[in-house]
Amino acid sequence: MATSLALADQVRPAPRLASFRLGGWLWSGLLLALLAFLVLYPTFMLLYGALSGTNPVVDGFNLSAVSLDNFIEVLANPNVHFALVNTLVVCGGGTAIAVVIGLGFAWIVVRTNTPCKALIATAGLVPLFVPPLVAGVAWTILGSPRTGLINTVLAWLGTDWRLNFYSMPGLIAVFGMYYAPYVYMFTSAALRNMDPSLEEAAEISGASALGTLRTITFPLIAPAIIAATLLSFIVMLGIYGIPAVLGAPANISVLTTYIFNLTAWSPPLYSTAAAVAILLMIVTGLLVVLQQMVLSGKSFTTVAGKAFRPRSLDLGRWRYFTLALAIVYLLVVAVLPTLALVIAAFRKYLFFRGAASLFDLKQYGLQHFDNLFSNPLTTLSMVNTVEVALITAVAGGVLAFAIGYTVNRTNAPGRRAVDLIATLPVAIPGLVIGVAYLWAWIGLPGGLYGTIWILALAFIARFMPDTVKVLSTSLMQIHRELEEAAAGSPPSARSCCRWRGPA
Amino acid sequence: MTKILTSRPSRRALVKGALGLAAAAVADRAGAQGPGKNPFGPPELIEAAKQEGSLVYYTANFAEVERQVIAAFNKRFPFVQVEMVRAPGGQLITRVKTEAAAGKLAADVVDHSDRGLMLEIENQFADYAPPNAADYIADVLISPKLWPRATLGWSIAYNSELVKNPPKSWMDLTKPEYGNGQIGQVIGPSGGTTWTRIMFERQVLGEDYWRKQAATKPGLYPSGAPLSDALVRGEVSIAPLLYNIIWTKKRDGAPVEIFFPPEGVPINPYASGIPKTASHPNAAKLFLNWNLSDEGQTFMIKELGQLTSLKQAPAYPEGYDPEVVKVWVPNFEQYKKLHAAWMEDWNKTYGYRQ
Repeated sequence: MATSLALADQVRPAPRLASFRLGGWLWSGLLLALLAFLVLYPTFMLLYGALSGTNPVVDGFNLSAVSLDNFIEVLANPNVHFALVNTLVVCGGGTAIAVVIGLGFAWIVVRTNTPCKALIATAGLVPLFVPPLVAGVAWTILGSPRTGLINTVLAWLGTDWRLNFYSMPGLIAVFGMYYAPYVYMFTSAALRNMDPSLEEAAEISGASALGTLRTITFPLIAPAIIAATLLSFIVMLGIYGIPAVLGAPANISVLTTYIFNLTAWSPPLYSTAAAVAILLMIVTGLLVVLQQMVLSGKSFTTVAGKAFRPRSLDLGRWRYFTLALAIVYLLVVAVLPTLALVIAAFRKYLFFRGAASLFDLKQYGLQHFDNLFSNPLTTLSMVNTVEVALITAVAGGVLAFAIGYTVNRTNAPGRRAVDLIATLPVAIPGLVIGVAYLWAWIGLPGGLYGTIWILALAFIARFMPDTVKVLSTSLMQIHRELEEAAAGSPPSARSCCRWRGPA
Repeated sequence: MTKILTSRPSRRALVKGALGLAAAAVADRAGAQGPGKNPFGPPELIEAAKQEGSLVYYTANFAEVERQVIAAFNKRFPFVQVEMVRAPGGQLITRVKTEAAAGKLAADVVDHSDRGLMLEIENQFADYAPPNAADYIADVLISPKLWPRATLGWSIAYNSELVKNPPKSWMDLTKPEYGNGQIGQVIGPSGGTTWTRIMFERQVLGEDYWRKQAATKPGLYPSGAPLSDALVRGEVSIAPLLYNIIWTKKRDGAPVEIFFPPEGVPINPYASGIPKTASHPNAAKLFLNWNLSDEGQTFMIKELGQLTSLKQAPAYPEGYDPEVVKVWVPNFEQYKKLHAAWMEDWNKTYGYRQ
């Protein structure tokens, strides 16, 4: 295949090469222009707000107002230090737990003979469908030190042992449990797509099982682990719902909740919030650069044009233990919180005299549903949600694929810049990104403001990093020879797309 | 006799008969006041509102509460559809300012809890006065364009399942027996209503009230909605709360009791106005006219547990004895002037990291 590509290069006429390069520039230019509109322009507005201490729409642009004073004041504020340290501890701890759970699940599902793998594979993904705020609320109902259901049951059992999720360990545990699927998705794909003959070769050469794991398996899935670790850390940095619900009662602030508070206080301090948001973006930017440094210059291609099945390890009796682990995880992340939400939804008031009152049917009713569905806004917001989600998924998916492909599979100029810019929004908390978009787009002609399109655009930008990263990991693992084989020489974009869909 | 305390020390004497909570018997007001037989405006206004058919309503009040207000308005005037946009106070003001600057302010009515913030953007609003303008207390009117559509008062509530020896006054909330997180407090910087309460605490209950109260280590909540939920659930046992937030829960059977403390009831009148750029100005006028009318105010008092800024109250909320309750209104100059410095003190005293 390498020979055929070399031949192709030889026979490719020079003008086509030039037009290919020109096309590359045009393509990158188009992507960069889109990203500039979606990401850089709002970020610039945020930066201006942070440095000038003004609202650029209300007060207009005045370059003489720009100074570092506001930013320096924010950096010197001990409350910002407190929030920053809490953020790093919570996200660091949460990521560690997420990696252990996610990697463990990936290994159980892909490389062992544990029964009920379909169930376990589903369990590993369930938290992805739980919005952070909902997870936070569910764990308040379960894990509140005074009134949590778990503590109510513990009291009923007569133990003095109590759980307190309004704490740093509580936050870390919930973060870890709910962001494990990121690690699971990345690493299970890598394990599944890994050529087992490499491990077999190591074992034939005399390596122990552990040695094989250390020298072959881990290095092969390293990019997936690193990408997943960084991504889950970065995603946690931007999460508001969980720390807002579980951290607030214990007066534990993280950067996102601190930013929200800045905008919720009266009077609101948007410029300070913008400055803290930029601090958050800098941390994220550094992580992205770190990720690129770790991954640069290494080839992690493990999926080649060859059919194979991943090896399955016979765990013997231990396979029931791994099954039990998966069931416990499913119980903790899905069953218990859902039960808590169901109880909360049907119970008139969430006050429990004791465990027995949980079964007092007089306490249950449909009043919350009556309230909900008597409100015309409920239906309207459901329709809007579906509409925005559809637009975001389709348009965002296409754009993310274009970016992921350009960054990972082409030599197009400026692709590093495309990657970096596309990753930026993950660091901006939803609320601040909302203000940035409001400032950036309200003044544009064409009536974007006040329509569903401004929401869709904001969502496309906000979730681009997640989509691009997920696609990129898959793309990194697909060997170019497949594309080349599909196309003959030279590979054409059209043929790439024809087979890439199934892949 | 209802008593009113104001925050200005020289005026802390009782002022009789003001703020619509006077001891005077609830008057039969039909035909007795300015609006006469058109309490909601002349027929031409109603017809014009009907032609417009809708309005956009920005409010900082609780969405659930305002939904009931809109439903009651629509019982009287079903032909005006009200589209509500609800946001916390700070965000709402930013949105109004930003939209106005871009020439895209969608609101026909803006309703806000912080009169100080609204006064800053007074020039965005058109001249407007309800038919019963003369019935409102002059002291609470900060601008001829802005009106106290809603008036909220503070109370103390406790979970009756958990508290066997309930507090009876503001000063009781400093007692060590209620320590260790049993009390919940809304944070000072949450908005205009809380700022009114903490001003009251310092000016009326004493310079060291915050320190003594903070020593009980109260749980801090970002606003009244989560705190009232926390009280019902038993996360906290006792909490100062706006009466309207907790009363509707008690009415619906939640295990809570509420009282108006004897030292005084700080109240916070809202500020509501019609932007100059309103595209449905007649519908907006009709909506505010109804809200500010006796009928609207009575609905808000009886069904939503609010108070009123009318000179003569058309009704009182349950548990409110005008003979006993002393209403306290902040001095508006001090309300604006003291805010920054006192809020910093409050944050320090309560260990709240702003």
